[in-house]
Amino acid sequence: MIRSSAVNLAVGYVLFGIIALVAFAAPLWYAWQVSIQEGRAEILQEDSLRQVEVFRRDGVQGLVHFIDERVGLQIAGERILLLADPQGHTLAGNLPEWPRGIPQQSGTYTVAVELGGRPSRAMLVRTTLPGNYSLLVGRDLSFYAPVERRFWYGLAAAVAIISVVGVIGAILIRRELLARIQGIRQTVSAIMQGELSHRLRTHNGGDELDTLSQTINRMLEQIELLVHGISNVSNSIAHDLRTPLAELRSRLEELLLTRPPTQEIFSELEEAVADVDRVIGIFNALLRLAEIDTGMRRSGFVQVDLAEVAAEAVDFYVPAAELKGIALSFHGTGPVQIAGDPLLLAQAIGNLIDNALKYAPANGRVEVAALRADDGSAELVISDNGPGIPAADKPRAAQRFFRGDASRGTPGVGLGLSIVDAVARLHGGFLDLADNHPGLRARMAIESGRIRPVAAAGPQPPATGNALAPRPAGGPARAL
Amino acid sequence: MKVLLVEDNERVTRFVTRGLREAGHTVDHADNGRDGLFLAASEPYDVIVMDRMLPGQIDGLAIIEALRKSGNRVPILILSALSDVNERIRGLQAGGDDYLTKPFSFGELLARLDALSRRAWAGGRETSLEVGDLRMDLLSRKVLRGTRAIALQPREFKLLEYLMRHADQVVTRTMLLENVWDYNFDPQTNVVDVHISKLRQKIESELERPLLKTVRNAGYMLTADD
Repeated sequence: MIRSSAVNLAVGYVLFGIIALVAFAAPLWYAWQVSIQEGRAEILQEDSLRQVEVFRRDGVQGLVHFIDERVGLQIAGERILLLADPQGHTLAGNLPEWPRGIPQQSGTYTVAVELGGRPSRAMLVRTTLPGNYSLLVGRDLSFYAPVERRFWYGLAAAVAIISVVGVIGAILIRRELLARIQGIRQTVSAIMQGELSHRLRTHNGGDELDTLSQTINRMLEQIELLVHGISNVSNSIAHDLRTPLAELRSRLEELLLTRPPTQEIFSELEEAVADVDRVIGIFNALLRLAEIDTGMRRSGFVQVDLAEVAAEAVDFYVPAAELKGIALSFHGTGPVQIAGDPLLLAQAIGNLIDNALKYAPANGRVEVAALRADDGSAELVISDNGPGIPAADKPRAAQRFFRGDASRGTPGVGLGLSIVDAVARLHGGFLDLADNHPGLRARMAIESGRIRPVAAAGPQPPATGNALAPRPAGGPARAL
Repeated sequence: MKVLLVEDNERVTRFVTRGLREAGHTVDHADNGRDGLFLAASEPYDVIVMDRMLPGQIDGLAIIEALRKSGNRVPILILSALSDVNERIRGLQAGGDDYLTKPFSFGELLARLDALSRRAWAGGRETSLEVGDLRMDLLSRKVLRGTRAIALQPREFKLLEYLMRHADQVVTRTMLLENVWDYNFDPQTNVVDVHISKLRQKIESELERPLLKTVRNAGYMLTADD
């Protein structure tokens, strides 16, 4: 396939080049021929007239003398001059006898004649003089043959050069293409074998193949990220789901074995339900993540005031913060309109506040700010003065199920920040975790695309009763 | 109340039927779409619990659409293992009134069925709500406990209004999150409980009778009864 595409291209270009050359040369050749023919005929006719003049003035002897004189000069490439009497005997001229093949009438002819015993083509002007003398003035066209040959040689050489260059070009292009495509193929096969870290080589040229390679590389990065995500998630799911399931199983099995009094059975069963709720909580969070990751929620984007969503979330958490002795406050500079999903944004902000409250020390503070960044994107910043996240853990903090050392012993399954990250990415943004000296400064940057002219600012109208507001998958599962 | 349960899973059926009967309700059961549609169309029910995926030709959404087309306005709660927003929206657009994802706790189901069945006849344009000596004026937005005026933040007012509208019913934390805050996620901390205890402090002074009760493993109930 490659082979034919490179060669086809080269052959096509060579043919095109030849056709172009011929198309250029043919009219030139024609024009050259015509103008030279005409010019030549004119010269011959003039010459012929001049000799007719001599004949009129000086008679036969005069013309014979004139011709002899001309011939005597022996100018190279001179014209054919011939004067014959009515019987066809040569009187003067540079041919031994009257050439055969010339029509009897006066006129200008281009004919095949035998000149000096060799066949040739000549342009001849035959004039019949008074007294039926015949005058022949002409030119041997073979005199010009070298020029014409040179023209044809030149054309042939050009065609040959184009063909050779085309063939060489085809071979080079094909070799280059094959080499690069071979490289791509090797990389791709390696990736298919499971070595996802491979990337296509790119040059700085930025040609089409390079652009393609770069695009493929970006795709590969995405795939690698997803695949790693999946394997991380499967490992973490295995761990995080097995633990409550193992507890549940041993709890139930113990009941079967020990057959304790009824009251004890009930309290154990209650614990068992709580275990199941933890598992359900993990499932719900995972399903939510999967749902966000598909990007389908984007179809439900509306114009949202990020500041309002954040302020409401802060209001929601203030009593819980007060209970822990943490000062939770909101700082806004006015509406921050973005296109987004208010419910998911509320959940993301909620998760961040939740997280901050979990780690802020007693009498600590958590500040939430919604602002418009200089580049026009919207930003939500949540800073606390807790222990923060160790620099080494930061890149992994938003990964699914990641739980830093500081979080051991606190509730949660390590999906909170993953959801924030997924929501930020859904909104064309990102989650950035920075140091607050001390504490954590979580920044959610969001692209502020516009959906429609500000019709309904702020979150969707309250979803009372059975409005279309999505709900958490049922059950009292508290853990997230 | 009279409940129709359309559900093909035996385990879920037994669990829901027993629970509802224990709570004093009558339960009819259909384990396929045809019987479900027949029962729903021929008997008057207070509320229908409809599984989305049913064996046979007719699935839950088809039954709901058929009922609604024939003008049947019975409240319907959809049960489904499909949790994502689009499925939920499809369920509600088909004519469902509420959507509960499996697995669910019985307390959540019962509370939602209660809310659904009562909404059928309540929910008028009243201007005031009363539970015992607690009075809420919806127009002036004033709340009185006996003669004592209670100052509430806007969100606390909304929370109390929801509780009063659902007086004598169990209201789950999830229902409160959805209806008072419009949130659809489970906060990791017990934020709702904190809001409730703040509200409780405001509406119940030490000398007054408790009104806002915590229902174990389910949620809360605002009631003047003991």
